[in-house]
Amino acid sequence: MTTERLTRVFVFLFIVLFFAYLFGPLLIMGVSAFNSSTFPRATPWECFTTEWFVKLGKDERLLEGLWHSIAIGFSVVCVSVPIGMAGAILLTQVNRKIRPVFYTIIISPILVPGVVLGISTLIFWDRLGTMFDASYNSIFYSGTFLTVIGQSTFISAYCMLVFIARLQRFDPALEEAALDLGATNFQTFYKILLPFMMPAVFSAAVLAFLASFENYNTTIFTIVSESTLTTVLASKVRYGIDPSISALAVIIVALTLLGAIVFEVMKRREARVAEARKREGMAPVSRADRASKIADPAHILMALVVIAGVGFVYLLAFFDSAACKTHVLEEKRILQERQVIPETQYQGIFGRGAIEGLEPGAEPAPGGTGEGAPAGEGEPGGYKGIFDPNVLKDQSGTGEEGSEAPQPLPDEEGSNFNKGIFDPNVLKQQSGTGED
Amino acid sequence: MQKFIRKNGIVVSIYLLGACTIWIALMIVLPQVFMLDFSFRFNLPPAKIGGPEDVYTLSNYSHLLFGRANNPESFNWLDTSVFGKTITAAIFVTIFDVVICYPIAFYLAQVAKGGYARFMVLSLIVPFWVNEILRAFAFRIIFSSSGLINTVGMGMGIWDEPFDFIKLDIALYAGLGYAFILLMIFPIYNAVESLDKNQLEAARDLGSPWWRIHWRVVIPFAKPGIASGCTMVFMLSAGALAAPQILGGPSSLWFTQIIYQWFNTGGNWPRGSSYAIVLLVTCTIFVMLMMRLFKVRLGEIAR
Amino acid sequence: MSADVQLEHVWIKFGSFVAVQDADLTIKGGEFFSFLGPSGCGKTTLLRTISGFQEPSEGKVFIGGRDMAGIGPNLRPTALIFQNLALFPLMAVWENITFSMEVRGVNKAGRRKRAEELLELIALSDQGEKKVSELSGGQRQRVAIARALCVEPEVLLLDEPLSALDLKLRQHMRAELRAIQKRVGITFIYITHDQGEALTMSDRVAVMSAGVVEQMADSETIYDRPESAFVASFVGENNALAGKISTIEGDQALVDTPFGPIRARLSESSRGALQPNGEAFLFVRPESLSFVNGDAGSFDNKIQAHIAEEQFEGNVRHLVLKGAGDKPLTMSVINAGRGLEYHVGSEVTLGFNSDLVVALPPGPLAAE
Repeated sequence: MTTERLTRVFVFLFIVLFFAYLFGPLLIMGVSAFNSSTFPRATPWECFTTEWFVKLGKDERLLEGLWHSIAIGFSVVCVSVPIGMAGAILLTQVNRKIRPVFYTIIISPILVPGVVLGISTLIFWDRLGTMFDASYNSIFYSGTFLTVIGQSTFISAYCMLVFIARLQRFDPALEEAALDLGATNFQTFYKILLPFMMPAVFSAAVLAFLASFENYNTTIFTIVSESTLTTVLASKVRYGIDPSISALAVIIVALTLLGAIVFEVMKRREARVAEARKREGMAPVSRADRASKIADPAHILMALVVIAGVGFVYLLAFFDSAACKTHVLEEKRILQERQVIPETQYQGIFGRGAIEGLEPGAEPAPGGTGEGAPAGEGEPGGYKGIFDPNVLKDQSGTGEEGSEAPQPLPDEEGSNFNKGIFDPNVLKQQSGTGED
Repeated sequence: MQKFIRKNGIVVSIYLLGACTIWIALMIVLPQVFMLDFSFRFNLPPAKIGGPEDVYTLSNYSHLLFGRANNPESFNWLDTSVFGKTITAAIFVTIFDVVICYPIAFYLAQVAKGGYARFMVLSLIVPFWVNEILRAFAFRIIFSSSGLINTVGMGMGIWDEPFDFIKLDIALYAGLGYAFILLMIFPIYNAVESLDKNQLEAARDLGSPWWRIHWRVVIPFAKPGIASGCTMVFMLSAGALAAPQILGGPSSLWFTQIIYQWFNTGGNWPRGSSYAIVLLVTCTIFVMLMMRLFKVRLGEIAR
Repeated sequence: MSADVQLEHVWIKFGSFVAVQDADLTIKGGEFFSFLGPSGCGKTTLLRTISGFQEPSEGKVFIGGRDMAGIGPNLRPTALIFQNLALFPLMAVWENITFSMEVRGVNKAGRRKRAEELLELIALSDQGEKKVSELSGGQRQRVAIARALCVEPEVLLLDEPLSALDLKLRQHMRAELRAIQKRVGITFIYITHDQGEALTMSDRVAVMSAGVVEQMADSETIYDRPESAFVASFVGENNALAGKISTIEGDQALVDTPFGPIRARLSESSRGALQPNGEAFLFVRPESLSFVNGDAGSFDNKIQAHIAEEQFEGNVRHLVLKGAGDKPLTMSVINAGRGLEYHVGSEVTLGFNSDLVVALPPGPLAAE
């Protein structure tokens, strides 16, 4: 008996740990979106603030990238859905011997690494461009065009899979009946097959848009000089981290959750309508039905989300965290004055905490440097002397991770030496916009 | 062919054949061919293309092995080791994901009941609607020197100085393992779900211990699912770009990052193409190995 | 307007497989014609060839005198009713019916009007707005017919339309189809494996087996005067006896069987085919057998047997009799309410005249 209980406990623990692994990072990120510290963290908690959301709204590069992502997404839908459908239909009509080969070729883009797709697309059109002697403004070098083509290569395959599934439920006798009744081939396609495929068209379109929107590996090569939301995000994350990124994540998660809930509600409503139709003419909706409608978990969730959203907006409008921040700043300064500089770390002539926090009302001390953390917090083995470029730069992420320590390889993106004293950003607001 | 046009009518025939030709020729086959061709060329400025210097060469590939000097004496340890490390890491991530996902998939498919199962499925999907970059970012926050893990660890007195997870690549592996969980769970889940519960019951009745049930009954049945999951995870790990860029420490360089550099700051597209071809070939070999090992066909792997 | 359909030496082959072998016949305009045969005999293939979904490998198809080679199904004056009906699930009933008008570009008002006429014809006037899935099997059947009739075809082709219906409904629909055909007056070509259907509804029947048209005639002829062993065994119940021909006199033959010598009629096809000392199959219908009481009755043939089984089927009694041969005989006795004089176990003498037993060349029998 006990072994069974033991296994049960073990299984339970495993599942709990697994979901902690799954959701933990997201929760942390979500919490950090509301924490006023400039480096995203959940603990220690400074002040509740919604400023990062505001900042997000003002970030032009991000908004530009967002706009591009949406435009590209729509274009990809317009390209991949028809191609995918053509592939699915053709697949059903080809000679039985050719079919596996055909299928393998069409499926291959899904299995090819995204970077390879991006590179091959880039090179192909570049070479075509040189062949035709095209100018740099032409379509051959347009980031938008290349990205749409590159992404559609494999997204069409996804669409095709959706269409194949739908086609398998199609009765070919319907087409024959239409023909027999005098319809032309085109009319048969247009009036019989296409209406049948419509639900699949919708799913494929949604799938295509989402796949395009979140794509990075292929896009980063094909986008050339333009940007999408994902490329902007990636560069922001690498060069200057601040919680506005967490804020973006929170928004995305909220939107997806909302979408999922709405979808679920719609599905349930459909099921309920279908059932009601079956029971047409029977007794009016019973009390049990009505009760289940109210108590339906999906409805409850939706209500909760709406309430949370409203509360949030309310907070956004009215809550002012300035008071809290000055208080925190005060606390930090007091701690700094009391802090003993540890001998193990040579903190440099000016000391770490000396430079920031000098302007009252400014953004709170960047990073965890002045937080009164015990000695030793900071770059392990870091010689943070006066000549360390990172002392002066925005320390909200890249600095303290130590990942920007002098590299032996000249191939890290954006060589470190640009981030030195002459970095104009040092003098800018230290809020995480890198140099890109 | 005539039969085809008669069956579909001229308009639809043009649409079907045209769309598929564009797709296959212009988007799938030709770009790969051009990339392959390009990888064998020198890195010439546009003016010199087509000129006398534009000949085929193996120098890009040999660079991967032998480095700049093209000297068989000096081995390009850097690039080759990065390549090796990337592949090894991808394999580890794959194994890691199989190990943690298989129990969950099995639980979901066979043990969890109705509404609870659906809830679990939904909660599995939700994290993956968040962009991969944001997910990597979340891991960055957690593993940072003032992130959750370090705070908790130091608070509990397990260690004194902030552990640099990032430098040790732990963050990267955790992040990569996390990224593709969904792709590993669902194929296995689909495969296991179609397993008749009665088989498990029968095996248990016959006195088989749980591990043997899995080894002899469940796993052979779930082979296509496991193969599919492993293939996807390996290829996405080997070809990952965002996670290494965001979570990678100074000593970990991912092969795709090297490729990216050749295109970005390195300015040597042909060389970048040759490395990309190497990556592609590796992935293809892996897929074929998987297919051979698990005896599955290609159609079963693609979701 | 109805047209006749002529098949001129039509062969249909799929690779090396011959589905239809040298079909050469003419179906008269305005008649109810059936192709009868077991599954796989080629009747569906033949139907699809007439409607235009299949081109013959050899030979020609003429409808109303016009050669249909190269003319697609949408241009032929035919309408096909599919076995699974193939009604359009996304359209309402009235839209289904008038689909052929829609593809010709007739406006909505015109279509509605015609739909109402046809709905009345099939007695579904108030069901026009419903979706097809909401109708019963019989109702859907009628919608399919109305949809086909809306095209105003010269030939209506029906592919086993009643096979999915239950018995009572099937019998009802048989009468209805016949009535509709008589009313509309167009050629009906009907395929089925149910000989009851074929015999009751058709003017003429063509019996097919393994791609070959074995016999084509009206119902009575097919039943009473089968021309081949297959037709004799497939259509209705029939007792088969194998034997050797002793003598042939005119249109009669004396055949040696395990039951003794039997005098039988020669069919049309047998006259040249059967020779003395050759093998022959004899067929006698169960209802043609009579009991011989003592010496009374002058039957050409008399055989001995004993009753092994008795099956009461309401209007008839089926008796299974075993005698000298290895196969049992079946005998059908009309139940006149008086009960049977003989019972299981009795030794009886059966008698039948030579015109009720036919001698045919040996050939494959219909599978049980």
